[in-house]
Amino acid sequence: MELMEVDVDMSAKPSTSSSASGSSIPLDTTVNKNPQPQGNIMAAVGTSGSVTISLHPLVIMNISEHWTRFRAQHGEPRQVYGALIGKQKGRNIEIMNSFELKTDVIGDETVINKDYYNKKEQQYKQVFSDLDFIGWYTTGENPTADDIKIQKQIAAINECPIMLQLNPLSRSVDHLPLKLFESLIDLVDGEATMLFVPLTYTLATEEAERIGVDHVARMTSNESGEKSVVAEHLVAQDSAIKMLNTRIKIVLQYIRDVEAGKLRANQEILREAYALCHRLPVMQVPAFQEEFYTQCNDVGLISYLGTLTKGCNDMHHFVNKFNMLYDRQGSSRRMRGLYY
Amino acid sequence: MDSDAAQKTWELENNIQTLPSCDEIFRYDAEQQRQIIDAKPWEKDPHFFKDIKISALALLKMVMHARSGGTLEVMGLMLGKVEDNTMIVMDAFALPVEGTETRVNAQAQAYEYMTAYMEAAKEVGRMEHAVGWYHSHPGYGCWLSGIDVSTQMLNQTYQEPFVAIVVDPVRTVSAGKVCLGAFRTYPKGYKPPNEEPSEYQTIPLNKIEDFGVHCKQYYPLEISYFKSALDRKLLDSLWNKYWVNTLGSSGLLTNTEYTTGQIMDLSEKLEQSENFLGRGTDVNEKRSEDKLSKATRDCSRSTIELIHGLMAQIVKDKLFNKVGLGK
Repeated sequence: MELMEVDVDMSAKPSTSSSASGSSIPLDTTVNKNPQPQGNIMAAVGTSGSVTISLHPLVIMNISEHWTRFRAQHGEPRQVYGALIGKQKGRNIEIMNSFELKTDVIGDETVINKDYYNKKEQQYKQVFSDLDFIGWYTTGENPTADDIKIQKQIAAINECPIMLQLNPLSRSVDHLPLKLFESLIDLVDGEATMLFVPLTYTLATEEAERIGVDHVARMTSNESGEKSVVAEHLVAQDSAIKMLNTRIKIVLQYIRDVEAGKLRANQEILREAYALCHRLPVMQVPAFQEEFYTQCNDVGLISYLGTLTKGCNDMHHFVNKFNMLYDRQGSSRRMRGLYY
Repeated sequence: MDSDAAQKTWELENNIQTLPSCDEIFRYDAEQQRQIIDAKPWEKDPHFFKDIKISALALLKMVMHARSGGTLEVMGLMLGKVEDNTMIVMDAFALPVEGTETRVNAQAQAYEYMTAYMEAAKEVGRMEHAVGWYHSHPGYGCWLSGIDVSTQMLNQTYQEPFVAIVVDPVRTVSAGKVCLGAFRTYPKGYKPPNEEPSEYQTIPLNKIEDFGVHCKQYYPLEISYFKSALDRKLLDSLWNKYWVNTLGSSGLLTNTEYTTGQIMDLSEKLEQSENFLGRGTDVNEKRSEDKLSKATRDCSRSTIELIHGLMAQIVKDKLFNKVGLGK
């Protein structure tokens, strides 16, 4: 399992401390160009979440498919609802999978169908026995008062459900249009009200999933086997390194600007950048060098074995063909033994 | 602001009723499907289905489910539809069965689960019905074993249209790309017209007999994948965070066990081919590849995979361990 920081940090951290005073929502600042009045469903700025979340890409794909399918079948997009399942260990939650939920509309209110949920839960328990109900997902740009109502319904199943909101109409490519919230009960005007608290998340993935996502993300429509596998492999590495390069450039540019006095220095960012630089080179201990050397040698040996086998095979073919020729000229079968 | 205006128009464009053409595939036409199923065009031609389209979601679900099973075979069902000569897989779900080795067969409990699941899925607008089943072959490649063939034959008799998909999660990780095959069996007694040699793949020695006996009883479908417009967008942004994993993962380390297994298998194959050579070969030389050539291919393939792994390691070494040493 590999975990990684989602890059909300770079942009969001300084803003929560300095510039977010105008808006009432401490959301991901890049998406939030024109904050709309929310009523009071968001907790006060600065309230930090109580849990850390890691999210599997499968869940994102699941929601995306659910939304697209609904749109394709009904002709227009609609808010969709579903359940998130995963593992919780102390304060760490890992969202592994999801399934659709059935909703009924009674009057103006959307009501989650409990019977349906129970049925689905039973089914999931049979296949993924180690996964528990974590929360729910929906689509939309920002949480609304209706979402609070749903959250209350969900809270009957799991005391502190997580809400995931995906914005399918978001235009930003740099950031995943995803937001996660948990809820808390606070006193507003003397009344106990449920409020959303934004959470940050990390993307979790395991090797097979990564390859799957890589595969679908950069899938070429024609799976022609003629393309060089080496090129394919190197292109993947190359694009990753390019990405690293652009990120480094951003950091570098920032530091230059700070140096030139164009930007106000943010100590936190500078400290992090410094810490990063300090860690380079990452591995210089002799133990690593030795292991790395061994690994190289191992692969070298296997390649050697491969080449030898190939050589043997070629030789074998050659001898066979040679024999064939020789045969034509009328040699006896017994003679052939000589060539082996 | 310009960008605001642009966003507004973009949103407008996206809210209009016409679907992006790539999303058209997500619409389900029950009437049309019923017509196709009633017409049964596949009964006339045993080679009727030629292509299969798999949604990004179904692919991810299958790969992850297969991987979660570890060395055990897992099994699941796929939902989808049919269009001309193409089978379309929209979604997949896991079944509560765990097989060992080449013995995957659905129990009564699984059937019960299957019906319940599909009924539940219909309620949330997943209208497609079952079009196939998938199971995993951890570490030994994508092909159908004898039991798989008979299961699939049974399915094709009673459940048409039906397809069998095999995923190899171990090879997926070792080769760094999804290893998946889709197959349909021929009816009993049918002889495929001219046997084009299917794509060569490595099969461990203890399975090769099972493979050889049944490999003429089914044919592979041409696989392609599709994704929705939203998927495309999300995957693009996902890649923005995902590149770290591409850089951070090492195929050499995650698959050491598999590599060792490959070498063991290879040594056995070489030994066999040695006996084979000793006996002397001549007549059937041209017809099929001899054991040595096969072993050579296996050998080259695993070598290539390993070299890929090593390339990645060296790149990383250069990138992160040599920085700042020059000064």
